[in-house]
Amino acid sequence: MRYTILIALLLFFGVSLSAQSEAGSMLIKNGTVLTVTNGTMENTDVLVIDGKIAEIGKNLRAPRGVEEVDATGMHVMPGIIDCHSHIAIDAVNEATNPVTAEVWVGDALDPLDVSIYRALAGGVTASHAMHGSANAIGGQCETIKHRYGTYNPNDLRMEGAPRTIKFALGENPMRVHGEGRGIQPATRMGIEQVFRAAFSEAQEYQAAKQKYEAAQANDDNTVLPPQFDRRMETLVDILEGEIIIHCHSYRADEIYMLMQVCEDFGIDRLCFQHVNEGFKVAPELAEFGAGASVFADWWAYKFEVYYSTAYNAAILTENGVVTSINSDSGELIRHLYHEAAKTQRYGELSNDEALALITINPAKQLGIDDRVGSLEEGKDADIAIFKGHPLSIYAVPMKTIVDGKVYFDRNNDADDQRLDVDPEEVMPAFFLDVQDHNYENCMQGTYQTFNALFRG
Amino acid sequence: MFRNILTVLSCLLITIGLQAQVEKAMDGTFALTNATIVTVTNGTIENGTLVIRDGRIAALGSNVTIPGNAQTIDCAGKYIYPGMIDSGTRLGLSEVGSVSLTNDYREIGEFKPHMQALTAVNPNSVAIPVTRVNGVTTVLTMPSGGLVPGTAALINLMGYNPDQMYAGAKGVVMNFPNSGKRGWWDRRSEEEIQKEYDKNLKEINEVWEQVLFFQEVQEAGEADYRPEMQAMIPVLEGEMPLLIEVNKAADIRAAIQWVEDRELSNVVFTGVAEGWRVAEELAEAGIPVIAGPVLSTPTRPSDRYDRPYANPGLMLDAGVKVALRTNEAENVRNLPFNAGFAATYGMGKEEAMKAITIVPAEIFGVADQLGSLEVGKAANLFVATGDPFEMKTDITHLFISGYNVPIDSRHIQLYQEFLERSPGVRK
Amino acid sequence: MLFLVCAFLAIGLSLQAQSVEDALKPVTRTYALTNATIVTQPGEMIEGSTIVIKNGLIDAIGTNVSVPAGAKVIAADSMYVYAGFIDALSNTGVPRPKNEDNGPRRGRRPDGVNPGDPPRELAGVTPEKQVRNDLKPDERSVEDMRKLGYTAAHVVPHGRMLPGQGSIILLAGEDGEDMLLSEGLSLFTQFEAAPGVFPATVIGVMSKFDELYRQTEQMIMHMDAYAKNPKGMDRPERDEALEAMAPVVKGEKPLFFMAPGVKDIYRVLRMQDDLGFNLVLTGVKEAWHVADQIAEANIPVIVNLELPDLPKDSKKKEGEEEDEAMDDEMKMLQERAAERMQAFESQAATLADAGIQFGFTAMDAKTNDIHASLRRMIEHGLSEDQALAALTTTPAAMLGVSDMMGTLEEGKMGNLLVSDAPYFAEGANVRFVMIDGHLFEYEAKKATKGNPDATANVNGEWSYTVEVPGQTSEGTLKLIDNSGEISGTFYSTQMPSAEDIENARLNGNELSFDAPVSMGGQRMSLQFTLVITGDTFEGTVSVGEFGTFDVEGFREGDPE
Repeated sequence: MRYTILIALLLFFGVSLSAQSEAGSMLIKNGTVLTVTNGTMENTDVLVIDGKIAEIGKNLRAPRGVEEVDATGMHVMPGIIDCHSHIAIDAVNEATNPVTAEVWVGDALDPLDVSIYRALAGGVTASHAMHGSANAIGGQCETIKHRYGTYNPNDLRMEGAPRTIKFALGENPMRVHGEGRGIQPATRMGIEQVFRAAFSEAQEYQAAKQKYEAAQANDDNTVLPPQFDRRMETLVDILEGEIIIHCHSYRADEIYMLMQVCEDFGIDRLCFQHVNEGFKVAPELAEFGAGASVFADWWAYKFEVYYSTAYNAAILTENGVVTSINSDSGELIRHLYHEAAKTQRYGELSNDEALALITINPAKQLGIDDRVGSLEEGKDADIAIFKGHPLSIYAVPMKTIVDGKVYFDRNNDADDQRLDVDPEEVMPAFFLDVQDHNYENCMQGTYQTFNALFRG
Repeated sequence: MFRNILTVLSCLLITIGLQAQVEKAMDGTFALTNATIVTVTNGTIENGTLVIRDGRIAALGSNVTIPGNAQTIDCAGKYIYPGMIDSGTRLGLSEVGSVSLTNDYREIGEFKPHMQALTAVNPNSVAIPVTRVNGVTTVLTMPSGGLVPGTAALINLMGYNPDQMYAGAKGVVMNFPNSGKRGWWDRRSEEEIQKEYDKNLKEINEVWEQVLFFQEVQEAGEADYRPEMQAMIPVLEGEMPLLIEVNKAADIRAAIQWVEDRELSNVVFTGVAEGWRVAEELAEAGIPVIAGPVLSTPTRPSDRYDRPYANPGLMLDAGVKVALRTNEAENVRNLPFNAGFAATYGMGKEEAMKAITIVPAEIFGVADQLGSLEVGKAANLFVATGDPFEMKTDITHLFISGYNVPIDSRHIQLYQEFLERSPGVRK
Repeated sequence: MLFLVCAFLAIGLSLQAQSVEDALKPVTRTYALTNATIVTQPGEMIEGSTIVIKNGLIDAIGTNVSVPAGAKVIAADSMYVYAGFIDALSNTGVPRPKNEDNGPRRGRRPDGVNPGDPPRELAGVTPEKQVRNDLKPDERSVEDMRKLGYTAAHVVPHGRMLPGQGSIILLAGEDGEDMLLSEGLSLFTQFEAAPGVFPATVIGVMSKFDELYRQTEQMIMHMDAYAKNPKGMDRPERDEALEAMAPVVKGEKPLFFMAPGVKDIYRVLRMQDDLGFNLVLTGVKEAWHVADQIAEANIPVIVNLELPDLPKDSKKKEGEEEDEAMDDEMKMLQERAAERMQAFESQAATLADAGIQFGFTAMDAKTNDIHASLRRMIEHGLSEDQALAALTTTPAAMLGVSDMMGTLEEGKMGNLLVSDAPYFAEGANVRFVMIDGHLFEYEAKKATKGNPDATANVNGEWSYTVEVPGQTSEGTLKLIDNSGEISGTFYSTQMPSAEDIENARLNGNELSFDAPVSMGGQRMSLQFTLVITGDTFEGTVSVGEFGTFDVEGFREGDPE
């Protein structure tokens, strides 16, 4: 009885309930459909059945019971995907060791983070929740769908999405470990050796495991397995191609270095993050087949990004690198459609090229492009409906749909979208967005961030 | 001998050619023709001509005589706008954010209005060209930190020494005590926050008393060398604005009362993130505001998601005079986009454009020089292929103080070098 | 009052907790509580009944029970007798270690420690730890819980992610070991990171736990294989942490996992699903989300006795005035906060409705709030019987001690509490508690309660008197109110000089503070709670385990 009242009250406040794998159906009528991969179609319908795009065409009929969403005069695009985010997780940096491959942010998802709703309000349906950049080899990340409204962390996980892990190059790991604790790495030379040592150790662990397995196959019980080591297990999985490396990086030389190291160890699933100087080694990136996930225009906040350019994404794209634009920020994630459009000011990308930066390309980088990233029949119904073209400054996201269910509706949602309400604090505390980002949000949870913020 | 002259001439030509590789800002007389001129204060002129001479707008209209020595720039299909003004930045005072010795906006001490941002501006900051190529020609650059961080200065984004850049206005910056949390990392308890708020308020009131006393003493001719006190005198006399940074609704109310108690006539509130909550009070008090950054998250988790976008529009609707700022150091170039979001979420295109042109000019008392395209004003303007709020638009020409500033910056140079790198990939 | 304390010393008692009776060496170990309403178990009440305890065990209960000769008779007319409460999990009796850093988030890591590979103690991985050698019967928490009617508790060591093993103790004894009933019956885990060393985050903790679990599985396999046939095999490495975890991995011991918030609960449930241990979901505050799921999976639950604080009556904070435009918003926010508060308060009822039998843990609660919390839960749908079960029969069953305690039955331990009104009634006071046959007596608390909205001027010098049976003690109190910060000194005629008071708080007209005093070489803290009306006050002072006494006082001269 109490539970029913609770549900009724929650509904009253416009918070949708059971978000878990609830798939919806709807017919989105008469919009300008931006498929991204197959061009733009005017006055076109998108039929969604049970969370999948069933059909895209003109004059479609809705099956009985399927509600119609009128998109006349609106633009319908694939749900935006943010390839670098730290929202919806309760821990960002296990900064105590240069190598922490064993931890996993997916263990501590936070479905109550109102940032998820705000991202939906910016048309973002999925994000890559990442470990921070304090460590050369950081923790494993998790691709999540923005199914806001659930209290169950497991409901956010995008089932079937490939495993990913965070690596970091440059100033951050050097600052945290070398400068902060006198532990290698303190230089870019040291970072390279951290990788080589970790992978070599993993190879030894793998060999020991294989020896054990061979002995078992021969009924020989005297050979023991190596002691279970979650870190080594993860590194072995990277070597075996089961985990995509996403590497926080800036300088051209360190980007080049990681590609060499990966080649030496037979790793080819690699995507660089931030990669502000990626444009300086764009041909190499294209040749390796590594992806690049970049900021639209952040620069100069650290020395390693002093010599970067807002034309980065455009240059990379023109040179054949699969490029995406990310936010690394609970603020920026809300207007990734605007960030992507900057490549038309800083560069000359076409509409579809710019939209690809926030849809099909991040999907490719996360290995989920078979499921999301474009409007194609058979794909997940992750859709964003805009008033105005998304690449225009005057665009307004109106509805955001995940798995065929509406999770954001500008006209009908209540103002207060909190799931986490503190009964002791009627008016939630005021706090202001800290504006001078001397460090990316990737450094949350490390002493260095506190030092920087308290320094003045 | 003729051959020698030829050799000499060709050497000269080569040298001149080499020099021409670095573009410089050039002054002179210019006529921008066939343009759509968006004056901001006097409507839009189709097919117009704008003449620049001696650093000023000499003529503008649809039937303008072009001076004989003018360099004509055909702007067919393009638009001319007044240079945009960002009313709150750290541009020129910060080079590399995380390297503290490159940051000059935060001096030690609580009460230091005599710290002059203008003299610390680095005219050659890499971020300056990066900013102006987006059409931002003028910014207020501000010190921060402490109760009274210093004196901010309005600068044009061109010039080789601070005086060349100075745009004729300053303001003393004050941080009103903040009764809210500073950020996600602020773990102080309610009592601690209240305690610090009370302490800060007490301090600022005490300091103010001292300043008033100093003013009396000075009038009596008995003052010592007290530069920080001296710096406050123009504020007391209403000649220089007091720029009060205040964001939380309750604090804004307290600040309004504080200002009224001291009968200050020239006050501007900056930040005003929760201005929408107290818009009517602000309007009634007649205090203009500099709002922003528009692209920020709501101040409370229970707030509607688009509050910061809608904030300027809501205040404007209540009758408040609103200018916009980015509060940025190296990304001041996003000013037009911040304004675009404000426009989209309630302010409207026209008012949003005013909020970054004529309104700040009026607030800083330089509306006779800046903020719109009118004859006699300084030639701070740019030529664009469309709406400067739209990302698709390109800025093709830029004028600051009548100089034709090249559309060039390190970002553009890197684009040119690396779009097609030579050598490319080479085994 | 100090005089009385010194008198106790003179009689040659150590300052360890002993019952008032024991202090004077009991002449009998047979007690009869007569003519009371006895609640033998939740739902079963016998009026006009007598209970006889002999040598620490319940000898007889009923309306026709004859009082044995030589028994100490306690007339319990119009009183209520219940089985002594059992705390399903806490640190009662285990003193907090002195060097535990309560430092800022930065933590303070000792020099020379590699943060990536710290010693286990620092990392918080100490599953082998037992409470036996740390238990202190005179620990403050023991008396606080006993006063509420608790007679036994399942206690665990202090620590971080794996503090150690749980033991059942009685809340009375001559020394630590004397309190121990049963040792090491469970393992305790919580999501507590280590400061500045691995694991420093919740994801580090979860990863570390998973790794330790699997390493334990490996170790068990290795040990089994080695035991069967050691020839040619490396010998197993001894590891006390893994060995302590082995019984949990084998399913022989339950794992009590602290999960107060809804995210904690979901995380723990997932870990249980992955690893397969016998989970006891402990300390839940937000379990209404998963009531059905837990009921179906038959997972034992222990509800947290801590509830969110009720808001003070709309006190306007300085500078936070209401605004017309804010009214609608404030109303909506207030509604949401109230609705969420209700959810917390009705959690226990929701679980009960789903058919879940749960215990209560006092781990997070302030003892002064526990009675009020229980009342709030009952107001929101929990029946009194269900509440009583959660305090007695259910924890007894969970901990495997149903044969010894949890109900009042002949043959079970003499663990009970006597209340001057039905326990859950407002204003009810616990008058007696018996543990293992030792009797503790408590004075009824005076009805004077502070009024948080009243004002009081504490400034000045006050004279006070304390009433102790057979004795009146007096002294002076100097108080200074410095914009809300109270300080002052406390003096008694038995002391050489005045001492500064500590932890002073003024809530409306209720003043509370601690007066540290030194007696016979021992430092003690006297806790004063005074209600000030004009120039007089009255209230109570708690003297450690000796009990609570009445205090009265008046201001000398004019207020400053």
